[in-house]
Amino acid sequence: MISDQRVVTDVSLSKKVSFVGINQSMTPGGLLKVQIELLNQKHSLQRFSYRFEWFDANGMQINNVAAPTIPDQIEGGESKFISAVAPSPECKDFRVKFIED
Amino acid sequence: MKKTVLLPLLAAAIPLLAGGCASRAHYIQTGGRESIVSVNSINIQDFIQAADSATSDLLASGRLDKVANPPAVIAISRIVNNTGQQIDTDLLVKKIRVALLNSGKAQTTTTMGVGGTAEDPMAKGLQQEAEFKADQQTTRTPDFTLSGKIIQTVAHDGNTSQSTFSFQLSLTDTRNGLAVWEGEKEITKQGGRSSIGF
Repeated sequence: MISDQRVVTDVSLSKKVSFVGINQSMTPGGLLKVQIELLNQKHSLQRFSYRFEWFDANGMQINNVAAPTIPDQIEGGESKFISAVAPSPECKDFRVKFIED
Repeated sequence: MKKTVLLPLLAAAIPLLAGGCASRAHYIQTGGRESIVSVNSINIQDFIQAADSATSDLLASGRLDKVANPPAVIAISRIVNNTGQQIDTDLLVKKIRVALLNSGKAQTTTTMGVGGTAEDPMAKGLQQEAEFKADQQTTRTPDFTLSGKIIQTVAHDGNTSQSTFSFQLSLTDTRNGLAVWEGEKEITKQGGRSSIGF
């Protein structure tokens, strides 16, 4: 389980789903792309929602009109990746919020 | 005596109690976790999710960067609704347009549309007037057109109903008519089948 202040989760979900790794890269067009690996430490299906927030070089949040709260699920014992692409080249940092459904 | 007084009082109080227990109207975050989920119709959170998926995929592909004069110009073509409900496809397309514009990678023309109809007739008229006065075409031919289809697939199993909404989009290069980007987002919802209706 990695500890990264850019990944925010609720206590209940954190006991069941751990965050194994974070990768980031740039697309050919200069957009920040983020990939997070999750691991379900339980044997049962876990449902959760997540939402990405993006920030510019000064730490100011960039309002993304289409930013959704995405419902997702992870099977018992499953490892999966979620990813997101920044909405504009001004985005230099991110934060992702997870909450158990 | 007491019963003759209490019973009418109770009868009068029941509507008041029922009204107090009803859910009071309140604001929620649009597309958030409190949003109502309807199995057989597309909810606003579905449009938001589909638009975000399409936009992210399109931006990450880098196709919009490969134009002679960036930012790319996109004209909105036909978005077909093949679902069982009446929807305004702008609920999807507008979100994509705003995101692309804010990204700096693309702009949308509002003076060209399917069948020659312009989204903004006034802008089209002023543009034509400017071209007439300048005696030359000032309109930039769009680099791409965006078209698509929304399809609903329904399944039932006993008392469980399931709907899958497929949001399909294509970005076509206007120089050669070839699709240079294609995206599809599927959103599946499942729930108890209503005892009344379909």
